[in-house]
Amino acid sequence: MARIEQFSYDNEIVKKFTYACMFWGVVGMSVGLLAALQLVFPAFNFNTAEVSFGRIRPLHTNAVIFAFVGNGIFMGVYYSLQRLLKARMYSDKLSRFHFWGWQGIILAAALTLPLGLTSSHEYAELEWPIDIAIAVVWIAFGINMFGTILKRREQHLYVAIWFYIATWVTVTLLHVGNNIVIPVSLWKSYPVFAGVQDALVQWWYGHNAVAFFLTTPYLGLMYYFLPKAANRPVYSYKLSIIHFWALIFIYIWAGPHHLLYTSLPDWAQSLGVAFSLMLIAPSWGGMLNGLLTLRGAWDRVRTDPILKFMVVAITAYGMATLEGPMLSIKSVNAISHYTDWTVGHVHVGTLGWNGMLTFGVVYWLLPRIFDTKLHSVKLANVHFWIATLGTLFYTIPLYWAGWTQSLMWKEFLPEGMLKYGNFLETVTQILPMYALRAFGGAIYVFGVFVMVYNLWKTVKSGQLIANEPASAPAMVVTGAHKGEHWHRWIERRPVQMLVGSLIVVLIGGMVEIFPMFMVEDNVPKIASVQPYTPLELEGRDLYIREGCVGCHSQMIRPFRSETERYGEYSKSGEFIYDRPFLWGSKRTGPDLHRVGKKYPNSWHYNHMIDPTSTSPGSIMPPYSWLADNELDTSLTKKKIEVLLMLGTPYGEGYEDKAVADLEAQARQVAAELKKEGIEEEGLETKEIIAIIAYLQRLGTDIQPKKVQVGN
Amino acid sequence: MYKHILAGAGDINWMAIFALLTFFWLFVVSAITVFRRSKSFIDHMAHLPLDEE
Repeated sequence: MARIEQFSYDNEIVKKFTYACMFWGVVGMSVGLLAALQLVFPAFNFNTAEVSFGRIRPLHTNAVIFAFVGNGIFMGVYYSLQRLLKARMYSDKLSRFHFWGWQGIILAAALTLPLGLTSSHEYAELEWPIDIAIAVVWIAFGINMFGTILKRREQHLYVAIWFYIATWVTVTLLHVGNNIVIPVSLWKSYPVFAGVQDALVQWWYGHNAVAFFLTTPYLGLMYYFLPKAANRPVYSYKLSIIHFWALIFIYIWAGPHHLLYTSLPDWAQSLGVAFSLMLIAPSWGGMLNGLLTLRGAWDRVRTDPILKFMVVAITAYGMATLEGPMLSIKSVNAISHYTDWTVGHVHVGTLGWNGMLTFGVVYWLLPRIFDTKLHSVKLANVHFWIATLGTLFYTIPLYWAGWTQSLMWKEFLPEGMLKYGNFLETVTQILPMYALRAFGGAIYVFGVFVMVYNLWKTVKSGQLIANEPASAPAMVVTGAHKGEHWHRWIERRPVQMLVGSLIVVLIGGMVEIFPMFMVEDNVPKIASVQPYTPLELEGRDLYIREGCVGCHSQMIRPFRSETERYGEYSKSGEFIYDRPFLWGSKRTGPDLHRVGKKYPNSWHYNHMIDPTSTSPGSIMPPYSWLADNELDTSLTKKKIEVLLMLGTPYGEGYEDKAVADLEAQARQVAAELKKEGIEEEGLETKEIIAIIAYLQRLGTDIQPKKVQVGN
Repeated sequence: MYKHILAGAGDINWMAIFALLTFFWLFVVSAITVFRRSKSFIDHMAHLPLDEE
């Protein structure tokens, strides 16, 4: 008989992560609200670089994913892990290092992203010094988590813990894989991969950031906090085992569904489609397991706001994991890609699943660690309705907008021309939906304020139990039983669980990514495609800095409606020198892949300074600072050196001639501007010259078969 | 349309087949072992979050 040991659970760290989660939730969602308002009222860009939409959008995504959900994950993991293992965290010092390190990283993001210091990889925008910090803090978290598992008193690992292990393993893999860059300076780097390969690595990462940061840890939280809140065990433990392995294996392959009908090779697209569809099964396994846990207890959902939040969260998860696979079907994707339907889909998952499950968990655990009751159950119920309404007002207008715009893009007149040849017309049609979406977001944010008030009153009425006393028998390590099944064996062996999950998630990545690099003819070369000139390269880096990729795509799909509007569809060989790739995910503005030589330089000049001067009614922010800022060429030489090292054929020693060539081309562009009637002096040293040079280069390297181009 | 699909029918990456087989067996084996578990063990695992003092 093992002796009973006395110990305590660390609630102080849970409190810290809870407060951080709430704080960054308010901040991150408010930034999202600002972005939504900017689309309806471009004046909210304030003609200021640091708060313009292109720079704000990644600030919003990073804040809500890594700061709000991230701290939410840690809050839930630190609470549940200790109690499931009947052990205090391995190291209080590591817990604190993890907390303060994570908040430091968030602050670094909040500073660098508005400054335009970005790698442009979605959800991995942070530049390399911060990436290193993330790795250090993440490893500290891993050591703390694993150390706790190894010193546990409960021998068997509950399913939530496998989800935490899989999360930790896969996020490590993804973070390293998508951030392999060569630094140019402290805040600028180029990815090792280019073009199509860069796109595939990015979306292998991007979809699995959704899978292993927004889904698996939250499924772990669901498997702990729902039984706690409902006071009944999960519906089917067997189902949770099966859907766990299926989920982590299948999810990894789904990345290419972000790249359907692009110049990603067909076989990779097909794999992405097939596996995305298969993903419905394990995802719904999780949803059903959660919902059915409440069978026979539905009457309690009527009165308990925590259960209400959890039920709607799980339902939203089910909806998003049906919608996602549907959107991965090529024929559906042909309609939805680049539209607001995708944005609507994202927010069903984030507002519904992540947001509401976080709220449910916080309402449940904060009163408990403060040894008190929730200040107002009524207000929590009010918050529930506000959050639900907010989510509906957010997503439904965007479905409408997505369909409307897509159908307008594709409509032809009987004579054979595009009916809506002017892209802007398709934007102005959906502005009322954008306004409704902003309203929905505002409602949702208001709900969060209601929550913060309720929690603040709760905390004031209680006293934190910083170290919650507990006792449990020391673990008796039983040896292998005769005839023991393999899963029972692995549940007692967390290290093997970690290695097993790693192998399983590696398989999908290897099968999809490996051939892209090893098989030459996956990316056919085009002889006429040349590297960017130094001036164009600087212009490209300005495009990245301003976040243009957030609204403009550079990937024309092989549809007649696109070739009529934009020109020849995009070939994979055209992107071989693109570091990073800039294919984009959304067309708030038109595709730019073949904008080169379509408009005179002066059009681009006027359009950048004030988009409404060339396009009345445009919602694009003004970029007048580009005409005032001096172009910084101090890094040009280093950039060419790095690109030479990565295989771009500039010719040996070109780095020494680069700046001279840049200045010569800049003078040429400025002279053309003067001829076209732009009278400002001294433009040849300004940033706008570089952007114009870059835009005029886009898509001009190949000879298009048809010369017809839309407005 | 079908000609296009059938023309590429034999052309499958060996890694894809390896991955499919791995997963298939993993799935079958885990389903079998799960269903052979005793009810009392399953109940014990399911009650772990609720087993606090």
